[in-house]
Amino acid sequence: MDNIKDTLRNYIVSEYLPGELPANLRDDMPLRTSGILDSMATLSLVNFVERTFQITIDAHETGIEDFDRIEDIARLVARKQGSAV
Amino acid sequence: MTAGFDLTPELEQLQEAAIEFASKALAHDMVARDRAERFSREDWQKCAEFGVQGMPIPKEHGGLGLGILPLIAVMEGLGYGCRDSGLLFSINAHLWTNSIPILIYGTDGQRERYLPGLCDGRLIGANGASEPDAGSDVFAMRTRAERRDDHYVLNGTKTFVTNAPVADLFVVYATIDPALGGMGVTAFIVERNTPGLTVGPHMEKMGLRTSPMAEVIFENCSIPLQNRLGREGRGVEVFECSMEWERGCILASFLGAMRRQLERCIGHARSRKQFGKPIGKYQSVANRIVDMRVRLDTCRPLVYRIGHLKEQGKKAVLEASIAKLYVSESLVQSMMDAVQIFGGYGYMSEQEVERDLRDAVGSTLYSGTSEIQRNIIAKGLGL
Repeated sequence: MDNIKDTLRNYIVSEYLPGELPANLRDDMPLRTSGILDSMATLSLVNFVERTFQITIDAHETGIEDFDRIEDIARLVARKQGSAV
Repeated sequence: MTAGFDLTPELEQLQEAAIEFASKALAHDMVARDRAERFSREDWQKCAEFGVQGMPIPKEHGGLGLGILPLIAVMEGLGYGCRDSGLLFSINAHLWTNSIPILIYGTDGQRERYLPGLCDGRLIGANGASEPDAGSDVFAMRTRAERRDDHYVLNGTKTFVTNAPVADLFVVYATIDPALGGMGVTAFIVERNTPGLTVGPHMEKMGLRTSPMAEVIFENCSIPLQNRLGREGRGVEVFECSMEWERGCILASFLGAMRRQLERCIGHARSRKQFGKPIGKYQSVANRIVDMRVRLDTCRPLVYRIGHLKEQGKKAVLEASIAKLYVSESLVQSMMDAVQIFGGYGYMSEQEVERDLRDAVGSTLYSGTSEIQRNIIAKGLGL
């Protein structure tokens, strides 16, 4: 689970928060509702997650409640992979 | 095309052929057709027979498979030789927001069913994205797509739909759930005769008046599952892809129009005499013409750069927005300068100078306003 979170954090910082320290992006920080990710960036993140973790994410799994914070996204990935949370 | 952005002999030949074709075959009776806002289906068909609509589409789908650089060169030639900017705008909308997304995101069945007709002139494509309350903020769209077994039901209204009054095929964006934001947006291919689809009254415009535009209304419009374009919830990707192509390439024809107008202005400044000498001998006039030339020379590489990047299969989001922003704003200024150089005559419809200005103004609005292009560029710079 921590590996998933770190992978997500590094991707988001490198793509959308250049110059920021990864450690400053907390697990519970909103990504979409805070404006860090717009529609296109969210889509790029979904594509990254699918490609990196070899899973398929349905549109209905990308709502704000499931896909706005690193901890939520990591939980979704872990569930999809069948891992223990 | 070389690094110096000179056309290769092959592209130059192709462009010359386009200029000759456009000069001889297209855009007759332009003042009257502009006034009447009359689209020419006949000229659309001539362009298809020349190969314009099929140029970037592979041969196996009914196109010429010539790629993007030749198309840009041809578009520039058509813009120089053809004074019907509305027709060329309609062809661009058809190519970038209909044919290209179907080529890239379509299934084999969708490509087989639609691309040959889109290439040979039988089908005219249109794109439904903007809504009365979702313009620059396009993904705030309200048009709904409700999934029911093997089909979707569309309800909503799309506005500013170029080609709508004459279109046979629409690529339409709708949300499966507004709560999903952009991730709910899904693309569909909708045929014109689909029950529940209505094209609204013709929308009168300032410029590009020979390119028809209308609202498109969907009322319980049933779309078969096989007409979804791309994955459910991935419409943003389809839309952004088509916008990247459109922003980068839609102004290629206006490069030709800028060149045509520059040459007219030079001719006029040499022949028109005031206070005993040609007006071009006055610095205030000459400087305007110099600026028109500088703008043209700085615009061309930006557009051809998109062609190079796309031919290499590269993304060009930032570069397309730079081209769109710079070329559109240069175009408006140069067409304004042309009116000023022609003076009172430039203001008269019969001279066909003021129409180019009216046709130019929309370029800073469609495919994303200049303000939106600056936002995209700023984002690309990490700001």
